[in-house]
Amino acid sequence: MPEIVVAVDRVTKRFAGHTAVHALSLQVLAGGVFGLLGPNGAGKSTTIRMIMHILEPDEGRVTLFGGPGTGRELSARIGFLPEERGLYPRMEVLEHLIFLGEAKGLRRRDARERALRWLDRLGLGDWGRRKVQELSKGMQQKVQFIGTLLHDPDLVILDEPFSGLDPVNLQVMKDVVVEIARSGRTVLFSTHIMEQAEQMCDRIAIIARGEKVVDGRIADIKAEGGTRHVFLSFASDGAKAAPILADRSLVVRADDSGATAEVELVVGANPNRLLRALVDAGVGLNRFEVAEPSLQSIFIAKVGQQAAVAPAQETVHA
Amino acid sequence: MRKLFAVIRREFMVRVNTRAFVISTVLGPVLMGSLFVVPMLLESRDRAPKRIVVLDAASGEFGARITGALAAARRGEGADAPPRYEVIRVQSGVGNLAPFDSLMLLTGAKREVPGALVGLVLVTDSAIDTGRLHYYGSNVGSLSEMGDLQRTIRQAVIAERLGREGVDPSVLARATAPVSLETSRVSNGQLSGESGESSFILAYVMSFLLYMALLLYGTQVMGSVVEEKSNRIMEVLVSSLTPFELMLGKVVGVGSVALLQLGIWTGSAKLLTSQRAAIAGMLGAAPSDAGSMPIPAISGSLLAVYLTFFVLGFFLYSAAYAAVAATVSTQQEAQQAAMPVTLCIVAGLMLMFGLLDEPNGTLARTLSMIPLFAPFVTPVRYSLSPLPLSEVLASAGMTGLGVLGVAWVAARIYRVGILMYGKRASVAEIFRWIRTG
Repeated sequence: MPEIVVAVDRVTKRFAGHTAVHALSLQVLAGGVFGLLGPNGAGKSTTIRMIMHILEPDEGRVTLFGGPGTGRELSARIGFLPEERGLYPRMEVLEHLIFLGEAKGLRRRDARERALRWLDRLGLGDWGRRKVQELSKGMQQKVQFIGTLLHDPDLVILDEPFSGLDPVNLQVMKDVVVEIARSGRTVLFSTHIMEQAEQMCDRIAIIARGEKVVDGRIADIKAEGGTRHVFLSFASDGAKAAPILADRSLVVRADDSGATAEVELVVGANPNRLLRALVDAGVGLNRFEVAEPSLQSIFIAKVGQQAAVAPAQETVHA
Repeated sequence: MRKLFAVIRREFMVRVNTRAFVISTVLGPVLMGSLFVVPMLLESRDRAPKRIVVLDAASGEFGARITGALAAARRGEGADAPPRYEVIRVQSGVGNLAPFDSLMLLTGAKREVPGALVGLVLVTDSAIDTGRLHYYGSNVGSLSEMGDLQRTIRQAVIAERLGREGVDPSVLARATAPVSLETSRVSNGQLSGESGESSFILAYVMSFLLYMALLLYGTQVMGSVVEEKSNRIMEVLVSSLTPFELMLGKVVGVGSVALLQLGIWTGSAKLLTSQRAAIAGMLGAAPSDAGSMPIPAISGSLLAVYLTFFVLGFFLYSAAYAAVAATVSTQQEAQQAAMPVTLCIVAGLMLMFGLLDEPNGTLARTLSMIPLFAPFVTPVRYSLSPLPLSEVLASAGMTGLGVLGVAWVAARIYRVGILMYGKRASVAEIFRWIRTG
């Protein structure tokens, strides 16, 4: 059994007017990528802030690395990228990174060497002497990402790390995250984009309205869903499939995206019935695959469509 | 400790390493220098004796006496100093003011005009009784020239009065010999070598420097907190640094910038004033034109007292500014919310002026025990009159307690406030933060 790096034990946080997180328990094991999933306003950022000890839970407790230290006390072992991104606009990039490293307890010279290495690696080698405000948004995000990783933390906590990135930078950052996990360290990241989690995470927890809906290994969660899901991709006449997908004797639920669809079959139904019906109706198919459900469909099945819309935005109040 | 130092270093470098800092640091001494170089140059430009007419409508030797006194007036000390005035005596006979109008036409005329005059002294017999003479001149705006003129004429009038009463001219000469009062400051039975006037200037400059540092740099602490809140770097910072480290680092970092800049300014001011005779020489003016402002001599103990209270005052007020900044989200809100703090600073300076006359009165002693005002009041009192060490220590102790109190409250407000965005915190909310913090 690997070490439990983050243990959140029945934690509750209330703000004026509403409960942001309610009796939430999570365990993040050492090594690998843990995804904290949920719609906007589900309580992801609040949970992460409590893990980092930026917010104090009203009830319950957070334990890091199995010991008594708080997020700030253990900050030398933790890299944290908050959802609210910010840098000092008038500081030079390299100076800024050195400062962030020093704030984590690195020696100045050490911080400088590491910052230079990272800047080179992420293609910002020529920008060290420029001011932060001269950088594009994507570049600033990379600088922040470097600041999070500069001190080689054992635990990396990223709050919505990939939002607003172009595909090239997205890939660069994903590669880094995967590499960290492969080196035996732990990554905890939050996202509301299920596909990202599906690609990268070993384990996930889905939360909605401040409560946990499901957690565990992605493979287990998917296997639990059984192989009643059919993935379709239409070559032509996709519209003709609509009445078939609406047939409740065959299909429980269909997520029809126009060019593709994910279909959950009724228990005991034979997928061949669906295939025949589609072919008979004259629908042209590129893909017909019987497989485990996607996270997206698990999420919607568990949470319900309406939960995807948050009651209120997460904000910090006293 | 290393983390705290990193914050201090960042706050320091980010300010010192700007064009604005370099320019203002250089500009300060340049402005100060021009403050005495310009008048020096102006003065040396019209070093030529000023041509003055004495319109003598009095009887006896009165007119001659005034003419003689004016002609004997020297610019600077020593017999070889240049004369102040070129005096022409116009005798019109007792009570006859007929030449007045034609002389007036020449007064204040351009130098090139033949017979141009700078001024005209009207001498009549009535002046002996009333003590009133009239001077008409183009230079009446110059306080120092009028002061000299008045002193010279007054001596002559006194001599004339005594002469008319039949006092022996040799007694007269001795009686009217110039008298000057030189002041020396004594503290604890020791001569400190400072004149009264320079003590006052020193006190004034010291309080004003503190006032400026608080308004310029204390508000920078505030601006920097608001900036961190508004560009959302705060969460990264508080995840690795304690709010107290952040606040202390900011106050010390910005305070060091203030001390550096003020140090450069005072250092160069001191250099400029001590070298002013040399500078006057370089500019082709006589050393005597370099002005007579006394050079404030600052003793080691006064410097120690001043620096102690400067640092205490800076901590107190910038911690207050930091707390204010934590309760708001924009610079505009910060300006409003900081009003009470700024008013206390202004009040401190005003109160200091109020007790210059009575530096050991009840008001002064009371103010020395109030942490908000002691940083302004106590160093000034110390420079003006001997203060027992125990009183200085008591004042510093009270201020130190005040700093701890303000820092404690500020840290609690800061801790909650820095992660609060959106609307400005109400007073009730702030009190809740302080209680529960």
